[in-house]
Amino acid sequence: MKEIAALLVLCGLIPIGAVRAADWKMDPAGSKLEFIATFEKTAAPGVFKEFDARLRFDPDKPAGSSLDVTIKVTSADMNIADVNKEIRGKDWFDYAAFPQAEFRSTDLRRSEGNHYVAHGTLLLKGVKQPVEVPFTWTGSADGAVMEGELLLSRGAFGIGAGEWAASDVIGADVKVKFKVKLRKAG
Amino acid sequence: MLRNDADSWGAPAKLFHWVIAALILAQIALGLMAASWRLSPTKLELFFWHKSTGMLILALVALRLLWRLANPTPALPSGMAAWERAAARLSHLLLYVLMIALPVTGWIVNSASNVPFRIFWLIPLPAIVAPDKPTAELVALVHGGLVAVLALVLVAHIGAALRHHFVKRNAVLVRMLPGTRRRP
Repeated sequence: MKEIAALLVLCGLIPIGAVRAADWKMDPAGSKLEFIATFEKTAAPGVFKEFDARLRFDPDKPAGSSLDVTIKVTSADMNIADVNKEIRGKDWFDYAAFPQAEFRSTDLRRSEGNHYVAHGTLLLKGVKQPVEVPFTWTGSADGAVMEGELLLSRGAFGIGAGEWAASDVIGADVKVKFKVKLRKAG
Repeated sequence: MLRNDADSWGAPAKLFHWVIAALILAQIALGLMAASWRLSPTKLELFFWHKSTGMLILALVALRLLWRLANPTPALPSGMAAWERAAARLSHLLLYVLMIALPVTGWIVNSASNVPFRIFWLIPLPAIVAPDKPTAELVALVHGGLVAVLALVLVAHIGAALRHHFVKRNAVLVRMLPGTRRRP
């Protein structure tokens, strides 16, 4: 039994192991970037409809990898017409001044198995903050999927300024969830 | 005796009446404030309490209706004119209709606006219509119109109760007050 299991693992690993620090491109159709705020302690989900991830990554040798994500902040959609109008403003995302957010990491580490953490910098609404993005890596014959979630504090980026900084109505933490489908580039 | 009989209300019927009356007055105030407040955390907070209170009223009214149907309704005093009886019946019917229609239209507005909401932070309110802004705006207008109707019917209801007590000098008002049990 043990030999068969080992053989299966080996068969599964060999094609992936053969990949060396490949460049990966995002397939937007299979990818999703969600942010889940809270309103009166109830989840208020939204998505960034447009974003792009570029990755240089070898799951077996994450050293030397890099991850580059650009997010079109103005593509945010919280499914509520009035809210979508409101978040454009200066107190929230401030579309006019900060239409784009970026996450860059050149420090990707394996934590265990197929779990990794990208240590990087998030630039959002003009504020740069170090952020750790944990993700899982699932390789397949035609590409790979990276998935994960993290909590961000909206106050650190000035999202919800002035009287909106209070967290009793709109919570301080925002959960970010992502699923990125990747294909090997070139 | 908790149950109503032919000429008096039992304690549960009185409790329903006064608790819901107090909630409705608070609810009208909350609704007017929420609707007119400038957009701010306070406005959202006011709406949260207005919506939670509305759903509480709806639940209480459902129980109240069941209790009313399971009990005799005390008779109107003798010597009332036909139009007075008709007006009493109509206004009571309207009050029940409004006590249901107002929370339900509010619920529709909340569903159509797609705002996530848990009653008193506890019970997630399921959507009863699909998200749609025009629906939300239209039903919000209906909701506001019904409040105006409610205000008129409440004035008639309170006015009639006072008239029964001070002009006609019958027991209609007193028999709804707490602590006034019929003599054995």
